[in-house]
Amino acid sequence: MELAVEMLNITKTYPENNLRANDGVDFVLRKGEILCLAGENGAGKTTLMKVLYGLEDHEEGTIKIRGNQENISSPMVANRLGIGMVHQHFMLVEDFTVAQNVLMGIEPRKHRISYDLKKAVTLVNEVIERHHFSIEADMVVRNLTVGQKQQVEIIKMLYRDVDILILDEPTSVLTEQEIESLFSTFRQLAKRGKSLILITHKLREIKAISDRVSVMRNGKMLGTYETDEVDERQISALMMGKSISFFIEHTKKDDESRPVIEGRKITVLRQGQERPLLNGLSFTAYSKEILGFAGVSGNGLGVLEAVLGGFIPTFDGKVLHNGKDITNIGTALLRKQGLAYVPSDRLHIGSSLKATVQENIIVGESGSFKKNGFLDQKRVTKHTNDLLQRYSAKATAQMPIGTLSGGNIQKVILAREIERYRDYIVFSEPTWGLDVASSQFVYEQIASLRDKGAAVILISSNLDEMLTIADRIIILYRGTRVASFSGDEARALSKEEIGEYMLGIRNQGDRGA
Amino acid sequence: MMHFSIPILHSAVTIMTPLLLASMGGLFTELSGMLNIALEGLLLTGAFFSVVFTYFTGSMIAGTLLGIGCTMLLSAILASVTLNLKSNVFITGLAVNLFASGLTVVLSFALFANKGVVVFDNIRPLPLLGTPRLASIPILGDIFIGHSAFVYLSWLLLVICYFVLYRTPFGFRIRATGLHQEALSSLGMRPNAYRFASFLISGFTCGLGGAMLTLNLGAFVPNITAGKGWIALVVIFLGNKKPFGLFIAAFIFGLADAFSNYAQGALNIPSDFILAIPYVFTLLAMIGSSIYAKNKGAIES
Repeated sequence: MELAVEMLNITKTYPENNLRANDGVDFVLRKGEILCLAGENGAGKTTLMKVLYGLEDHEEGTIKIRGNQENISSPMVANRLGIGMVHQHFMLVEDFTVAQNVLMGIEPRKHRISYDLKKAVTLVNEVIERHHFSIEADMVVRNLTVGQKQQVEIIKMLYRDVDILILDEPTSVLTEQEIESLFSTFRQLAKRGKSLILITHKLREIKAISDRVSVMRNGKMLGTYETDEVDERQISALMMGKSISFFIEHTKKDDESRPVIEGRKITVLRQGQERPLLNGLSFTAYSKEILGFAGVSGNGLGVLEAVLGGFIPTFDGKVLHNGKDITNIGTALLRKQGLAYVPSDRLHIGSSLKATVQENIIVGESGSFKKNGFLDQKRVTKHTNDLLQRYSAKATAQMPIGTLSGGNIQKVILAREIERYRDYIVFSEPTWGLDVASSQFVYEQIASLRDKGAAVILISSNLDEMLTIADRIIILYRGTRVASFSGDEARALSKEEIGEYMLGIRNQGDRGA
Repeated sequence: MMHFSIPILHSAVTIMTPLLLASMGGLFTELSGMLNIALEGLLLTGAFFSVVFTYFTGSMIAGTLLGIGCTMLLSAILASVTLNLKSNVFITGLAVNLFASGLTVVLSFALFANKGVVVFDNIRPLPLLGTPRLASIPILGDIFIGHSAFVYLSWLLLVICYFVLYRTPFGFRIRATGLHQEALSSLGMRPNAYRFASFLISGFTCGLGGAMLTLNLGAFVPNITAGKGWIALVVIFLGNKKPFGLFIAAFIFGLADAFSNYAQGALNIPSDFILAIPYVFTLLAMIGSSIYAKNKGAIES
């Protein structure tokens, strides 16, 4: 068996926090295989791959590519050795076309100096056709869906004749259908002799796509297994050290439920676009219920979040809170009237990364921590420490929140928002990028809020999440409500069927909800 | 109306040229993601060294080229302190501005024993270009023909500037640096190399623009730039960061300046007020454009 990559005894410590991200890790990739690198957040998967791609150096260990020992000091060297990486966050210039992004740095020229833009399109279209992608080289990246942007990243690497391809959480923002087509691309690439490494923590996908799976935990490699010979439970047990499955009890809406938030024909327009971002959306969120909004990103979920958070004005329609009109009153007034909100963008909207954990906790509520006109620091710290303990967040009150892991940042935001909640709370993509254990924690918190009588609005493009916890689901497509189900109805359907609504293939008509 | 508006328009074309040149260079740094506030200092450096070298060499071309060389050297220092030593670009830009205004006066005193206006008798006025045929085109001929070579060179450079930014790999990488630098660095390119080049380009165009200021006059006046570098920065934003937008924005400022020159002689208003016109205009233009951008942004986002 020909080996594409051998990494031996790799050790990498981050000096900032003295964290040993990789501790004597061995890793082997065979030629032509699809290997999943699995592990929880913080297990060291991404670090290991960054070492392989030349983005991070390492203190110990050796790397062999196709049997030759190499010193991979930069992505440039990695590219030259035929190693490519598709990052979790896209490295694309939104204003440029697909071709211009793909050819960045290796542009075709005319008369030696000018950029041959026509040839660029032809060259990239050849690669697109050869691999049966669904985009065209002259499309502007800004107008692409997330799934298509990912294709651009992959094409970027394929164009560079990469034969070892690393993909960091490639499916985290894609729909079921997009994932399926991505996977068939992966299989074709493997058939052509390319070797693929997928960083992931989704068990189902590991089973669906990989030939082998390597599992990491706490910076150590636990082992590599033929995927056929292990089941999801075993992989999960290795990843987490214990077996966990999501279990959230669902409640039926009882007679005491009352409408808390009502949307009436909410319409949001954007200049220069014919299609409204939200098109006459009506809904009612009841107390003691989790109302889910599902859809593919770009179909109005983000806009709905912005309307509920008070960031963008509506063009038409009303939002009512306990019958009172709160349309377009702005974030400050919404907060005053009881908006509790866990935003999808937890790093920019949800928190101030350079501020400490306790500053993030009391932001907006600092008035209640005053003593003689000054902040009572002791009380702030005590309050923060109480919350950190209750929400089992691994942090101290004085750390800048930006130094925490994603899961812990989310716990701090959850703590703050749940503390201030009165009768309704909005969650947007609450588990995006979180590992299994943190996700479970978030779900439990959401369910317990519901049981306490909150009207929970859950906006999420993660269908598994929707099916796990929502009591009622509204599906948005192109800003319009195309279907609504009770949670039980939805769970009775196959994911493919729900996906068809999300992609606009099916439309249930308005049944009222 | 016609009898006085044509000369005003004609002089607006002259006055706008240093603004256009400085803003062109500034456009490169701006697109590469750097706010280059040093345009003022670079312009002043170019103005001083061009006229001094012209005086010593006796050649306008040699003087201008050496002046540009000095300006590019200063912009290279600015770039390397900002990019390699990772200083804040606003502070380093400020330092360049203060340095330039001090250095020119000190050198002027050391060389000519004069801290004030230095007049160079051996520098003849810039030759004005144009043929009688072109000049006879009604209105347009009166406005656009009969300027110095700097004016026409700046138009040529504007076309080149457009070509470089939108039709060469180099221009695409400069713009990508400003838009999303990881798009370059993840492919192993160095965004800072493109920023460095942008600073050098702004040194080049500011050197040229500065040369025009002093050679037109045959003299060096302390702080002859009088905020033109700052206005050039405004021109970049008002011109919507597009090469041909710069032309329109620079022309509007040239017009305001030309009008204030005209009004000084013709209208019975204290000259202090009149001289403030271009600056008041700058302020109003910025306020207007940011209100416009805000309204537009509110609808779009």
